[in-house]
Amino acid sequence: MEVVGEEDGDTEGKRKNGRSKKDEKKEDKEKVEKKQNKKNVETSSEHESSEEEEDEEEKEGEEKPDVLSPEELEKLKEEVDERKKLISTLRGKPWPMRKKLLTLRESHEFVEKYEGALGKGKSRKLTKWMKFQRDFENFKTACVPWEMKIKEIESHFGSSVASYFIFLRWMYGINMILFGLTFGLVMVPEALMGRPYGSMPRKTVPRADEANAMDFAVLWDFGGYAQYSVLFYGYYNSQRAIGWLKFRMPLSYFLVGVGTVAYSYMVVIRTMARNANEDGGGDNNSFNFSWKMFTSWDYLIGNPETADNKFASITTSFKEAILEEQESRKDDNIHLTRFLRVLANFLVLCCLAGSGYLIYFVVRRSQKFALEGLESHSWWERNEVNMVMSLLGMFCPMLFDVISALENYHPRIALQWQLGRIFALFLGNLYTFIIALMDEINLKREEEEVLKLNMTIWEASLYNGTLGANSTAPPITVHPADIPRGPCWETMVGQEFVRLIVSDTMTTYITLLIGDFLRAVLVRFLNYCWCWDLEAGFPSYSEFDVSGNVLGLIFNQGMIWMGAFYAPCLPALNVLRLHVSMYLQCWAVMCCNVPQERVFKASGSNNFYMAMLLVILFLSTLPAIYTIVTIPPSFDCGPFSGKSRMFDVIQETLESDFPAWFGKVFSYASNPGLVLPFLLLMVLAIYYLQSTSKSYKQANLELKKKLQTVSHTVIMSSYLSSPPGGEHRAHQGKSDHQIPPSATSPPAPRGHRMPGPLPGNQRQPAPSVQRVPNSQRH
Amino acid sequence: MVSGAIALAFLPLVLTFIIRYRYYFVLFYRAVLVRMWYDCKTGLSREERAFQYVLTHAIPGDPESILETFDLWCSKVEFISNIGPKKGKIMDRMLSEHCPLTVLELGSHCGYSTVRIARALPLGARLYSVEMDARNAAIAEKIIRLAGFDDDTVELIASPSDEVIPRLRADYGLERLDFVFMDHWKKCYRPDLQALEGSGLLGKGSVVLADNVLFPGAPNFIRHVRKSGLYEWKIHRATLEYSKGIRDGMAELVYQGIK
Repeated sequence: MEVVGEEDGDTEGKRKNGRSKKDEKKEDKEKVEKKQNKKNVETSSEHESSEEEEDEEEKEGEEKPDVLSPEELEKLKEEVDERKKLISTLRGKPWPMRKKLLTLRESHEFVEKYEGALGKGKSRKLTKWMKFQRDFENFKTACVPWEMKIKEIESHFGSSVASYFIFLRWMYGINMILFGLTFGLVMVPEALMGRPYGSMPRKTVPRADEANAMDFAVLWDFGGYAQYSVLFYGYYNSQRAIGWLKFRMPLSYFLVGVGTVAYSYMVVIRTMARNANEDGGGDNNSFNFSWKMFTSWDYLIGNPETADNKFASITTSFKEAILEEQESRKDDNIHLTRFLRVLANFLVLCCLAGSGYLIYFVVRRSQKFALEGLESHSWWERNEVNMVMSLLGMFCPMLFDVISALENYHPRIALQWQLGRIFALFLGNLYTFIIALMDEINLKREEEEVLKLNMTIWEASLYNGTLGANSTAPPITVHPADIPRGPCWETMVGQEFVRLIVSDTMTTYITLLIGDFLRAVLVRFLNYCWCWDLEAGFPSYSEFDVSGNVLGLIFNQGMIWMGAFYAPCLPALNVLRLHVSMYLQCWAVMCCNVPQERVFKASGSNNFYMAMLLVILFLSTLPAIYTIVTIPPSFDCGPFSGKSRMFDVIQETLESDFPAWFGKVFSYASNPGLVLPFLLLMVLAIYYLQSTSKSYKQANLELKKKLQTVSHTVIMSSYLSSPPGGEHRAHQGKSDHQIPPSATSPPAPRGHRMPGPLPGNQRQPAPSVQRVPNSQRH
Repeated sequence: MVSGAIALAFLPLVLTFIIRYRYYFVLFYRAVLVRMWYDCKTGLSREERAFQYVLTHAIPGDPESILETFDLWCSKVEFISNIGPKKGKIMDRMLSEHCPLTVLELGSHCGYSTVRIARALPLGARLYSVEMDARNAAIAEKIIRLAGFDDDTVELIASPSDEVIPRLRADYGLERLDFVFMDHWKKCYRPDLQALEGSGLLGKGSVVLADNVLFPGAPNFIRHVRKSGLYEWKIHRATLEYSKGIRDGMAELVYQGIK
């Protein structure tokens, strides 16, 4: 980099020297004195002179080519090349500095002058443009958040760990947008333009809770003042339009809820499609060894220990590949392996069932506690559900990991099994939680029904009491905190999700601090006075668990999607969490983790993560949509209170805010007679597009095969046509030295003249076809 | 009070630990608990028990049989940190490759490795075996004599290694060591190696073999070897003696001298 910079500086200096003698001397001195700093000085002065130079250049460029004949041009070209060569080798010439500078200046001038004349007149302008582009690219990369951090991690830990951080950053971006939507269109309008705190029962802390509504413990549980704020569904008013902007709050709330989910679907699917494009298709099973030979080095590694590790991992991967080949040829006790695999799956199933039951049990118990009143129970008992879920989510994957050692799978397949199992575990836990939540919702709704009855009685008694005392009937003023209110299941759901997220975050951070940091500190400093080597032996430093972290992130996102409708603060919380964990995990990785022994490439599994994210997105929108569609909203809280269903808000808007014809059009458009054919058309279009893309893929593969066959035949033919000695040598096993020149240089055109080996050619593809079942056996 | 359900959630963690580190638990049981139990029961030291067993079960004068009996006792009855049969094979191979004439062994313990080395030595070679503990040295002496090696082949020196090494040249008339085997205190590996370097007994091509460099491990030693640049070195990876799952290694250093 520095070398280039210096030379650039010299070039620039020379240009100015051509114009004024004074400048020249000054520049010369500078050049000799401080070559290092030159670059900056020169580039700053470059802009002043650039315009003039371009003018000159254009003139020259226009004049010269007309005068010169082809021979002269040729000669000129040679000369220019010579000069260029001189410039590049000048550094090593044993000349005095003065002479060097002079020659440099002259040859630069010459090259510039005649290169322009040779029809590259715009070259400098172009290079300037390109330089600007390059700078702009650099600037853009500098603007990408955490790029340097991630690059650093990549250089130490390889691409697989970095892929997690890239995924995290991507997630952060999505959450930023979700946060922007909810914050800008829901929370801020309600806070600014909605009715203030204390004006309505739903916006006031009830009298019974007032005493400790500001306690930290209550706030930490998202009760008290936190519950009666814009953070939760219940606070929002059902007033159709608020403020002087006539902001349609309920509509906005509904649309934002739908929009976040729709946006997430769009982004995930778009990313998946892009990744699939980059894959390009093709089989990864043929030429396994040559791929390993030539492409297994990770050039981003910049640290000797990691390089050692990578070296080791490549060696082991070779060993493994060889073993795999051997294994695919002989079957040793296949029955034992099968039995062990079945056993492992059985154990995992037991574990899953156990954890599912434990969560079910805990949830039921917490409902019992809730009925008895939470105050009589300890903190542990109140937070039991979250604690148990987090702990199980943390420890069961470790157990799966240990169990999977039984199966003796290839590590790549083992990783997929592991991911699948953790996925099942998390999903089971999540759905147990949701089912428990549904039970609770039903309880709350029963409670609400009872309360509605009581409410009328209470109101009647209130009116009767006041009427009895005072017959003039002034407007009765009861403080909103005293009015009885419904349980508001939506807020309850939101609170549950927020608590889950918070406890999950806490567990993650605490595990990080204890499991990674504390362990690293202990290992590092106890090693001075311990009877065995702690660093290399038993506790050692922890490795970064890519699969667990990615899945944690994915499920966390699922919970956000699920709960965001009932707690608009969730995206904000998640952004905070992701932000903190970006820094914390970057730090933890760099300071207390060691690179994995087997650094594997992550590129293949990226879409696997995305597919999981998609599944989770779907599974998490299901319950949310179910509750929105089937359960009527609470009667006295939230933006949809008073409506029989939440989506009635759309109809209402259509009727009152749009012209009549629009409603009509909409009702026609939503007619099943129109919707069904449209859906049919869409399905057909998808089918058509898919089949086209399939055929393209096929064509791609065919082309690839063709290419391979062609190159193969070229090599073969070059062997056959080479003198017998060479052939002989090649057969003696020195083919390493023989192949490259013949594969790359002159013989290549020969292949084009040949009758054309077609994809049907049996010589080349045959081994790869044979190979596929072998390597997929495990 | 922590509820039972939360405690139950820790079960997978406990199981994981037990399964993952089972070999370490087994090792702890065999090397510490069983040993303490027998110490109390018999009143003899572990090495004495091993010697009794070998005396009653092995054929005198046959090193092979003695080694086998040792292996049997160590894998079936109690645990003693000998070099073991697997790593022993590596050592045998190296000895037969280098044919050393002067061998220094640091830490003979109860003589297993001494017998193992002595049996592989060429005619006229001499083995100096250093043992710090006097009781162990006595047992090692008996074992060595039982295996049929006399004073000319094996010389046992019962004193700490850091005292012996500086005196080797003067007291024992050594000029050069061809082969050094280290299996004493892991903390002493590095100082002893440095002492050997300082004494000038290592010549170009001298081999230093250090056992247990991964478990229990000698990080300082490895660091020194890596930094000093005096050696060509590699680590033979294997498992800990008489145990399947604990990874261990032997470091083989070939002295290159100062370049």
